[in-house]
Amino acid sequence: MLQTAWKSALAHKARLALTSVAILLGVAFVSGSFVFTDTIQARFESLFSDVYAGTDASVRGVAAEFGGDVRTEFPAVPQTVVTAVSALPEVAEAAGYIQGFGQIIDADGKPVGGMGPPTYVYSWVESPALNPFRITDGNGRAPTASGELVVDAATAQTAALSVGDRVSVQFASGTESFQLVGIVSFGDSNNLAGATIATITFADAQRILGLDGQVTFVDVVGVDSVSQDALVDSIAAVLPPSAEVVTGDQLTAEAISGFTDGLGFLSTALLGFAGVAVFVGAFIIFNTFRIVVAQRTRELALLRAVGASPRQVVTVVLTEALTVAVIASALGVLAGIGFAQLIKAAMGAVGFGPPDGPLTIEPRTFVIGMAVGILVTLAAALVPALHAARVPPVAAMQSSAGVRPARPVRTLLRVGILAVGAASVGFGLLTDRLLVTSLGAVVAVIAVLLLAPVLTRPVTWTVGRPIPGAVGLLARQNTARDPRRTSATASALTIGIALVVFTAIFAASTKDSIASSLDEAFPADLVVAPSNMYMAITPAAAEAVAAVPEVGVVSALRAGAAQIDGVDATVTAFNADTIEAVYTPGADVALATVGDGLLVQRTLVDEGAVAVGDTMTVAFPTGKSAALQVVGSFRDTTLGSYAVTGSTWDRLGGSSDAVTMLIGLAPGVGFQAGRTAVEKALAGFPSLTVNSVSDQIAAATAQVDAFLVLFTALLAMALFIAVLGIANTLALSIVERTREIGLLRAVGLSRRQVRAMITSEAVVTAVFGALLGSLLGVALGWVVVTAFAAEGLSSFSIPVLQVLLWLAVSALAGVIAAALPARKAARLDVLEAIAYE
Amino acid sequence: MTLADTRGREVREDIATSTTAAARMQDGRKTYGLDGAQVHALDGVDISFDRGAFTAIMGPSGSGKSTLLHTLAGLDTLDSGRVWIGQDELGPLRERGLTRLRRDRVGFVFQAFNLIPTLTARENILLPLTIAGRAVDQAWFDTVIATIGLADRLGHRPPQLSGGQQQRVAAARALVSRPEIVFADEPSGNLDSQSGAELLGFMRMAVREFGQTIVMVTHDPNAAAYSDHVVFLADGRVVAHLDDPTAASVLDFMKTLGA
Repeated sequence: MLQTAWKSALAHKARLALTSVAILLGVAFVSGSFVFTDTIQARFESLFSDVYAGTDASVRGVAAEFGGDVRTEFPAVPQTVVTAVSALPEVAEAAGYIQGFGQIIDADGKPVGGMGPPTYVYSWVESPALNPFRITDGNGRAPTASGELVVDAATAQTAALSVGDRVSVQFASGTESFQLVGIVSFGDSNNLAGATIATITFADAQRILGLDGQVTFVDVVGVDSVSQDALVDSIAAVLPPSAEVVTGDQLTAEAISGFTDGLGFLSTALLGFAGVAVFVGAFIIFNTFRIVVAQRTRELALLRAVGASPRQVVTVVLTEALTVAVIASALGVLAGIGFAQLIKAAMGAVGFGPPDGPLTIEPRTFVIGMAVGILVTLAAALVPALHAARVPPVAAMQSSAGVRPARPVRTLLRVGILAVGAASVGFGLLTDRLLVTSLGAVVAVIAVLLLAPVLTRPVTWTVGRPIPGAVGLLARQNTARDPRRTSATASALTIGIALVVFTAIFAASTKDSIASSLDEAFPADLVVAPSNMYMAITPAAAEAVAAVPEVGVVSALRAGAAQIDGVDATVTAFNADTIEAVYTPGADVALATVGDGLLVQRTLVDEGAVAVGDTMTVAFPTGKSAALQVVGSFRDTTLGSYAVTGSTWDRLGGSSDAVTMLIGLAPGVGFQAGRTAVEKALAGFPSLTVNSVSDQIAAATAQVDAFLVLFTALLAMALFIAVLGIANTLALSIVERTREIGLLRAVGLSRRQVRAMITSEAVVTAVFGALLGSLLGVALGWVVVTAFAAEGLSSFSIPVLQVLLWLAVSALAGVIAAALPARKAARLDVLEAIAYE
Repeated sequence: MTLADTRGREVREDIATSTTAAARMQDGRKTYGLDGAQVHALDGVDISFDRGAFTAIMGPSGSGKSTLLHTLAGLDTLDSGRVWIGQDELGPLRERGLTRLRRDRVGFVFQAFNLIPTLTARENILLPLTIAGRAVDQAWFDTVIATIGLADRLGHRPPQLSGGQQQRVAAARALVSRPEIVFADEPSGNLDSQSGAELLGFMRMAVREFGQTIVMVTHDPNAAAYSDHVVFLADGRVVAHLDDPTAASVLDFMKTLGA
């Protein structure tokens, strides 16, 4: 029996080739996601293990419970700690150094990096054992004198810097000019996950960052006989309370997790998209086996007639599925390795790539890839296999009917399921129960997919209407011939298009919401903000702007970490005297009258977390705190969750640095003239950018668009698999219809008309799937936007052009999917086709 | 009764210049297989079919009768020799021309699988006109339908029709575009004798009443008896003609051939 199955699988290689590709692509996506995330993990592990290989212990300041310093990652400790630690008998060598933030400025005055990865400034460590940086071959030397600088190789390349150049670096305290004397690598890597690194002398670092007599780290090499734990114990004994010590191993682990913590999200997202691809692939596999079983009815009946049991027939079909699954999954895992290389290269191209090195291929990747491919294929082939088992032996004696009577679809039941799903969505939305809404949406989507066969005939009939003549008639009839087959073929595309359209609607609605809220909230002419999240607007910059005659109003927003009733939160401070001229956060009280009060985000009030009139304790990192009364709420999200006036902020010892400066131009000053004047005044602060509100909207829009492109690209795999499915169904149905095509040719259908007929079938099927998908996508988009309206998704926007574009792309995909099958059909020899059994 | 061999060259020249024949073949030759195992399906066939006549082609299996039908109808090509439908020679026609010829000037009835299962009886009958984009001659359509007696089944699809009904629909399709000639390949081969008689009676009526030209391949003397002439083939050659056949005369003649 097994031999029969094997022979059958091998005899129909072509028939199963496209199915294999569907499995292969899904498995490639899954295993590629694993390889990619494993590789990032392993690369950072190896990088930091290498870099901290010589470090047995590290001393640093105890991080504040909340909040921090804009200058450094960790609080500084007194430099005397270095002397104390060095004096210990267990310590072979100790080096104190400084790590802070500084923005490198290129020759054109533009900031380098800083849009994501941090921009570090280090002081040079003389000890080779403890210095993480190596001067690369032939690229200068270490900084030894004040005003000398080395940068990492990737930054040097990005900013086109070479040894001897003058390079500006902007610090919180102002801009400094340096002579580039060397280029360094970080371990074996030319960069640190996209961070820019500027290393200067210890004295310069202390002076510029305002850390005289202090260091941020003391790295220690122990004597050979002492374990890391013992070393840490003896160091801890001599440290002041403001400092702590960790082992080298712990330091390595922290550094690795610092870079790989974000991976969980990435890995989940990639696997989510891989799941979509696999799900779509499952439709193709299911459909292929359904068709194959239908075509082999007589062969299977013959097996039954000569004594095979129904169970053996199931075995035959499933063995064939297993054969395909094993081969395709194995190839899929291999393709996944290539896929991972591709994502890695793409991430590297946008500056977020992992350190260089080989891909990491865990045994787990093989196991999961194979398991997914095999289980999905077997599951998808199971129903067709069970159908095969029900073929009666007498079918061997009957001629295979051209049209199989479709089992009546349980339409009413499915409409009922749809109604239940839709009702749950409505109920969930009205009562604000996200779980009910989501479950309802899933049920409704499944119901629509189940209803697709019922919709097939009317929809394909309408879609195919414009196709004229015999070609149109035949194409419409062929598409409607087996509604289950057509709808299963189209469903793969339905799912893909639904997700693509949903993503497009979500993006468009987000952009609209951002644009309308920014437009509404910011009557300001100009907005000044740091281009680097590690930098701030210093009072000096604020004064420079205030001094510009073209400027009428300047109002700064400050923000920082605080604890409110003991919970970590961000508090924003506004200048009560000037804010209302440039900012309208949708508050229910006049901002000028807030006084000592506290304002909260409207959603907190809506959720019942806070009520106007409550008194809340606001504690600042400075140790000061105050009990403030909630006097009102605001809608705009720029202010975060909590806002106080500048005077309250100052009273609690908040930083004088601002995060945003809102500028209203003086009456009669033109926008361009005002902007030019402000830019000129800020020429000495290159890390600050001057934008109009429309610039900000454009920037936010561009960010959303980037996500849209990324998500659509990841969904493209599912769309591609769906198109393969259409090609596969067509190819199989042409085999089935050989005699019919021969007859059509005999009575005068030209080759061109045969091609047009097959192509029309594909286009009609694709457009049917895409139409259904667009409707589902729009419905899902509406549900999600409505559900998240309170979270700021205020407007629902359908990008009609994009939806139409996807319909057009689907129709084109139909043409492409039909290319080979149509060619094959047109080339059938008329006489052979008529005689085909 | 005349043996074809005795006609020789004159016949061949008649064929080359005939202006009245519906279809003709001159010195048709076709060989299947490679050296050593060659089968001469057609081995110098000269034949002409008069307009308005019902001709049956008979012969034992492998005599070349199906090949003759296929090459006459433009479904297959000769290795050498010439074929005409009316005044037009098929040899120079390429794929597109042959397709158009089949569509506009020739009708077919095959032994089985004559109908597109997704189309209704009416759509199947009108298929050649639909393909050509030609208007339906409603009066002629009604006449044909009335003659085959399936007026009440036009909305049915093939699986809902009996074998005899399906073949009558196929015959109606072959007639509805008023082709110059209808080729039928064992049209009653799959039918019981009652259905077969109905179909053949209908075909004969089409010839008598509407002046249709029909060429039919059959191995059944009873079917051949419906025709006006019988042409006998053996080993790829025309070996005999028989006019106004009856089942008995055909059977008798086949015995002399077999002897």
